[in-house]
Amino acid sequence: MTLKECYDKISGDYDDVISRLRSERLVQKFVLKFLDDKSYDLLCSSMAEGKWDEAFRAAHTIKGVCQNLGFATLMESDSALTEALRAGNKEEAIRLKEKVDVDYRMTVDGIRDYAGSLS
Amino acid sequence: MQREKILIVDDSEMNRAILTDMLEDDYDIVEAEDGLSAVAILQKSVDISLVLLDIVMPGMDGFGVLEIMNENHWIEDIPVIMVSAENGTEQVKRAYEMGVTDFIMRPFDIFIVRRRVVNTMMLYAKQKQLINMVNDQIYEKEQRSNMMIEILSHIVEFRNGESGQHIHNVRRYTDYLLRELGKRWKRYRMSETDISLISTASALHDIGKIAIDEKILNKPGKLTDEEFAIMKTHAEIGAQMLESMAGHQDNPIVKTAYQICRWHHERYDGRGYPDGLKGDEIPVAAQVVALADVYDALTSPRVYKGPYSRETAVKMILDGQCGNFNPDLMQCLAEDGMEMAKDKEQEITESAQRQEIREYVEVVMRSKGGSMSERALKLLDYERMKYSFFASMTEEIQFEYMDSPPMLTVSKWGAKKMGVEEIIKNPAQDKKLQEVVRPDTWNKVVQWLHSTTPENPEISGEVMLRFNGEDRWFQVIFRAVWSADEPPKYMGAFGKAIDIHDRRLELEDLKKQASRDSLTGLLNHRNARRRITERLAANPAGKYVLIIFDLDFFKTVNDTYGHAFGDKVLKHVAERLDAGIRSNDISSRIGGDEFMLFMECGDEYAMVIDRIFNNISGPFEGFHISLSIGVAQSAVVGVDYEDLFHAADKALYCAKKSGRGRCCYFDASMDGMFSVLSEIEGEGAGERSDR
Repeated sequence: MTLKECYDKISGDYDDVISRLRSERLVQKFVLKFLDDKSYDLLCSSMAEGKWDEAFRAAHTIKGVCQNLGFATLMESDSALTEALRAGNKEEAIRLKEKVDVDYRMTVDGIRDYAGSLS
Repeated sequence: MQREKILIVDDSEMNRAILTDMLEDDYDIVEAEDGLSAVAILQKSVDISLVLLDIVMPGMDGFGVLEIMNENHWIEDIPVIMVSAENGTEQVKRAYEMGVTDFIMRPFDIFIVRRRVVNTMMLYAKQKQLINMVNDQIYEKEQRSNMMIEILSHIVEFRNGESGQHIHNVRRYTDYLLRELGKRWKRYRMSETDISLISTASALHDIGKIAIDEKILNKPGKLTDEEFAIMKTHAEIGAQMLESMAGHQDNPIVKTAYQICRWHHERYDGRGYPDGLKGDEIPVAAQVVALADVYDALTSPRVYKGPYSRETAVKMILDGQCGNFNPDLMQCLAEDGMEMAKDKEQEITESAQRQEIREYVEVVMRSKGGSMSERALKLLDYERMKYSFFASMTEEIQFEYMDSPPMLTVSKWGAKKMGVEEIIKNPAQDKKLQEVVRPDTWNKVVQWLHSTTPENPEISGEVMLRFNGEDRWFQVIFRAVWSADEPPKYMGAFGKAIDIHDRRLELEDLKKQASRDSLTGLLNHRNARRRITERLAANPAGKYVLIIFDLDFFKTVNDTYGHAFGDKVLKHVAERLDAGIRSNDISSRIGGDEFMLFMECGDEYAMVIDRIFNNISGPFEGFHISLSIGVAQSAVVGVDYEDLFHAADKALYCAKKSGRGRCCYFDASMDGMFSVLSEIEGEGAGERSDR
């Protein structure tokens, strides 16, 4: 699988990320690194424990990372969640989290497949 | 070349990694995962050239970092680029107001990131360089032009056959007269720069004489009219020389020198040369130099005359024999002042001027308040280096504490010894630190520190710290840091902790020794009494017995076998006694062969007492130890120590009376009895004193 194919699979914007980071090596490195990023775990646990400030920061961090890596789909759902958390809108946040869960799984699965095809 | 160092502050490791990757080819990178760590790094290092700062972070956020950078004026030396996905204009505005130089928005574009970093670095580097250049050059330039002027005017003097002293004197007098004028009349008041300008330019007043024939210049006798006419041209010639200096016409020193050269022979009444200016038409600079020139000419020797005394010179000037001057100016001509001015160190003007430049530079540098100059930062770095070097040599726990944001810095050795980080954020909540410094100890110390004042900032005390599971006593010495604000604010403290555990144990050992009988190691009477009293007070409802006993026929032991053996017997008795009792019981030697035992026990005490004393009685190295025992029970006597003691004493007396080797319990019938101990202490002391 090529990196571009991986981006297509996870509905990311490959052209955008390549135009910004200029190097497929760099993009690949950080895409793979995304699998190790703990922000999503933090988001899940802090929402489960009702730590809303922490949840906001985690969602915010995921948003930043998605922006940087051009993960357009996950970024979109996570942005919405970030704003809901920022506004302190808990019910809406819990609702939006479901979409984030789906998109996150889709993204991570896609990257895992890509990582598998490399070895 | 040394690479510049960038501090990247972002709570997302991914984002830090991306930025690091983009920049690490050209820069050294330091990373911080939150605001407090960033502040700690900025506080410790002076070589950070740029900060890339995220806004949203746990704990202290990006604005918190900016706030501290502003408070400490770091923002003036270290540029900050905000990194953010936030594009709310409010935040951007706030960030700019707090001194942020630029923004990098997410998503990152590698070219934009690199370009912004380079631009910001260059901008700041230029600014720093400029400040330094201005600093150096203002002063250097001033020095250089002063020197050139002096050289030039000395050439003229030399040709005049005058000593170089004339120029110096005129300069000093000019300086003095200008200041006097300014003191007396507001309208003459001028800035330090102007005074120095005129005094410096005064050295040039006679440069026109370079064009006058040496024969006329140095003629000893009176000049002919023709010669004098030639001589007079020096004023105009000097002015022309200055005027013909292309490209310097706007230079203040050239302008001032022109006035002085051209008009220093004008008279206030308008009868001078070359232009016949009158009164205030003559620039003040020229008026002052003219008077200074005349005064020095009168009081110094010349080829055509000897020196006049100061009084004569002043009188001649005031009488109008040597020209005609501004009356305001003549009022300043107090001869003492002039003389004093002449004797003044040459540096005076220069140093005043230097002072002014320094003040000016400082104003520029401090335009944002009490900033730290580059040099001061370097010095600070040096001090820190020195400090950490010495700290590493002494095996002491040294530390610095900053109150807000709370941060504890521990010396390398100390941190290793304590098993904590060298920089501890939020030390009050730090788990590792709490293992060493228990929260109640921490709070106590914090209280101590808050009790200091700016006048008495030092405080010390002893605290228990825990090292590798062992409690040890430390002496801690602090110096609290108070700000210079009004009212002063508590900022933190620095200090050190010294292990005094062994010393303290030794001391406690000594105390213990003092409370014990030196022969037997049992408590002495005073301490036994104190402890018993405490125990009784702690639980008055308890059942206690207090027992006093002594050795029968002990006097004969001493008499027959000698005191050394007597001591041996006493020691033996004490050992057996101690072996037979529980750790809670209090045993004591209260004097001679008198012992005391205090126990808390139930109804079976009689058995216990029998067992203990059977254990002691018996043969010892050929001597048969027999005891007489008096027992007082709290159930009978009450829980007052004195009552118990005297009751036991009486019971002992009773035991002795009834044939020794016995044990008596106190009851009310014994109330009237004698006391064994009062015999010891009282009339029978000589006889009964067994030792």
